[in-house]
Amino acid sequence: MFNRKILFALAIIMMLGLLTACGGKKDVEDDPTAAGDAGETTETLPVEPVAEPEPVPEVITPDYAAMAPAEYGVEDVFFAFDQYELDDVTMGVLSRNARVLRETDVTVLVSGHCDERGTIEYNLALGEKRAKAVKDYLVSLGVPAGRLQITSYGESKPFAMGSSEAAWAQNRRAHFERP
Amino acid sequence: MKQSLILPLLLVLVLPAVPATAQRSTEVQLGTTAEAWAKTPILVNMLDVLSGGMQAVEAADLVQEVLVSDLGLSGLFLPAMRDVEGDTLEYEFAIEGSVEGPLRDAELTGEDAPTVLNLNLVTWPGRQLLLNKRYRPLPHQQRTSAHHFADQVIEMLAGEPGICLTRVVFSRGAGDRRDLYVVDYDSEGLMRLTANRTLNLCPSWSPDGSRIAFTSYRQSGQQGLFGLDTSNGKVDLIIAVDGLNLGADWHPNGEELLVSLSHKGDPEIYRIRPDGTIIKRLTVSSAIEISPSWSPGGRDLVFTSDRTGTPQLYIIDSDGAGRRRLTFEGRYNDSAVWSPGGDRIAYATREGNFTQIVVMKATGENRRVLTDGRWRNAEDPSWARDGRHLVFASDRTGVFKLYVCDVLEMTFRQLTFGDDPDITPAWSR
Repeated sequence: MFNRKILFALAIIMMLGLLTACGGKKDVEDDPTAAGDAGETTETLPVEPVAEPEPVPEVITPDYAAMAPAEYGVEDVFFAFDQYELDDVTMGVLSRNARVLRETDVTVLVSGHCDERGTIEYNLALGEKRAKAVKDYLVSLGVPAGRLQITSYGESKPFAMGSSEAAWAQNRRAHFERP
Repeated sequence: MKQSLILPLLLVLVLPAVPATAQRSTEVQLGTTAEAWAKTPILVNMLDVLSGGMQAVEAADLVQEVLVSDLGLSGLFLPAMRDVEGDTLEYEFAIEGSVEGPLRDAELTGEDAPTVLNLNLVTWPGRQLLLNKRYRPLPHQQRTSAHHFADQVIEMLAGEPGICLTRVVFSRGAGDRRDLYVVDYDSEGLMRLTANRTLNLCPSWSPDGSRIAFTSYRQSGQQGLFGLDTSNGKVDLIIAVDGLNLGADWHPNGEELLVSLSHKGDPEIYRIRPDGTIIKRLTVSSAIEISPSWSPGGRDLVFTSDRTGTPQLYIIDSDGAGRRRLTFEGRYNDSAVWSPGGDRIAYATREGNFTQIVVMKATGENRRVLTDGRWRNAEDPSWARDGRHLVFASDRTGVFKLYVCDVLEMTFRQLTFGDDPDITPAWSR
C-alpha cells in the first residue's frame, strides 16, 4: 500500500529536481572545478545560434545629379505678366529651395520661361531676366553661384498648352532642371 | 480686335518702275478687296516638244506651269497659258520655247538624263526676240531652270529684282524640338535642315545664301549661335557666350553679323565675325537690347531696347552712335527688319494680348498696320528681296503657319502647311 506521504515527498523532490534543472544547473555539489564560485555555473551549454545583431544603417546620400530637382524638394516659381520680380510667395519657395541646395552639392539649371504673348526674341530676353532674378536671390541666400547655371527658352518650351489665363500663368516661370 | 484701318489714300505707295516697253496694260481689273495695280499681261505658251518621250512632255508642262506661277506671284504680271479668242486682254509679250528630251527614258537607261530647255521672251504678236536662254536640267533641276528664266523676264520687263529663286528658312516644331526647315518661295521643295533634338530658332541668311546663322541650345542647356553650311548641311559653332546668343543679322558684305549677347549682364548688340570674334560692342545700357537689323547699305541698324520700360525701336549707326528713337506708338515694339530698298521698316507691335505686323517708312512716318484682328497673332516679319513681299508667322488657324503678304496689293497667301507650328522665318536675299 502506497503511503501518500511518501508519494508527496517524491513529488517535491522531483519538482526540486526540475527546478534545478530549469535553472540550468547541474548538480555541482562535488565538482572540484567549481571551488570558490558560489553558485556560478561553468558548464558550457549547448549554444543556440543567435542571429548577428542588425548593423546600424549608414546614411546613404541620394544621387541628386540623376534626379529632377522637383524630386528632392526644389520647386519652380512663377511670375506676373511681363514681370521678372519675385513676389513673397516666390521668395518663400526659393528660401526652401536654398536650404535644400545648400545641403547638397548638386548643380542645377534654372531656365526662364514666358507665356506665348509677345515676340520670340523679347520673351527670350525676359525669360533670362527671370532666371537671373532667381539665381541672384538664391546666391544671396548662400547657394554657391557656380552651382546655378541659367538659360532662357522664352515662350518656346511651354509647360501648358492653350491660350487661357491658367495656361499662361503656368508658363511664366523659372524652372529648375538637371543641366 | 479690329484696328482702325488707315485708308489706302494715306499710303505712299509707288507703282513698280516699269520700263517704257512694258507699260500700257490695256485693262486694269478691279479686285473686290484692295485696289489692283496695273499688271502686264503676258502669254506663256505651251513649249514645243522636239524629241523625247513622256519625260519631255512632263518637263514641258512643268516648266510652263512654273513660269505662269512665278510671273503671277511676282504681282507684276497677268500671265495666261493661251490667247483665247475674245479675251479682253491684249498681250504684248509672250514666252515660248522648246524641250528636247532624252531619246531614251530613264526607265530604260536606269539613270536621269538632262533635258534641253530653250526659252524665248518675245513681243506679241510680232515675236521680236527680247531674251533667249538655254538650259540643260536634270529632272530635279527643271523647276530651278524655270525660276531662273522667270527672274530674267521680271528683271528685264519690270526692272524689279525677281524672287523666283529665293527660299524661306524657318523653325518648325513644338515642345522640346524645333528644327530648321527651308522651303522655296512658292511652297515647293520643303527640306529639313536640322535634327538635333533641341530648339533651333531665329535663322538668318548670309547675303550669298551659303550660310544660315541660327540660335540653338547645347547639351548643357546653354544657348549658342550656330552656322549651317547650306551646300552640305554641316553645322558649326559661331559663338556661345554665357547667356543669350540671339537674333543674328548678316551684314550686306557677308563678313560680319549683328548679334545680341548677354554675357556682360544684360543683352547688348555686338558686331561679330563669322569666326566668333567680337568686332565691336554697339550698345551700353542696363536695358534689354535685341533684334538688330542692318540697313541695306550696312551703315545703320535698327534694334529694340526697353530702356524706357517697354521694348521700342531705335536706330544707331555701325559705330553705335547717333541713337534716335523710331517708335512712339504702341507699348511694345520688336522684331524690326529693314526693307531691301532702305525706305521702310517692318516690325511687330503687341497690343493687349495680340501682336500685329506694322510697316512704316524708315523715318518713322506713315505707320500702317498690315494685319488686323483676323490674323490673331502676326509676328516675325522678313522681307523678300523685291521689297514688295513680306513673310510672317500667324496663328490665325490655331497653329502658327507662315504667310506671304504683297505689301502693295495687301493680298496674302499661305506659304507653309501642316499641323506643326512654324515660326521665325527668314527670306533669302
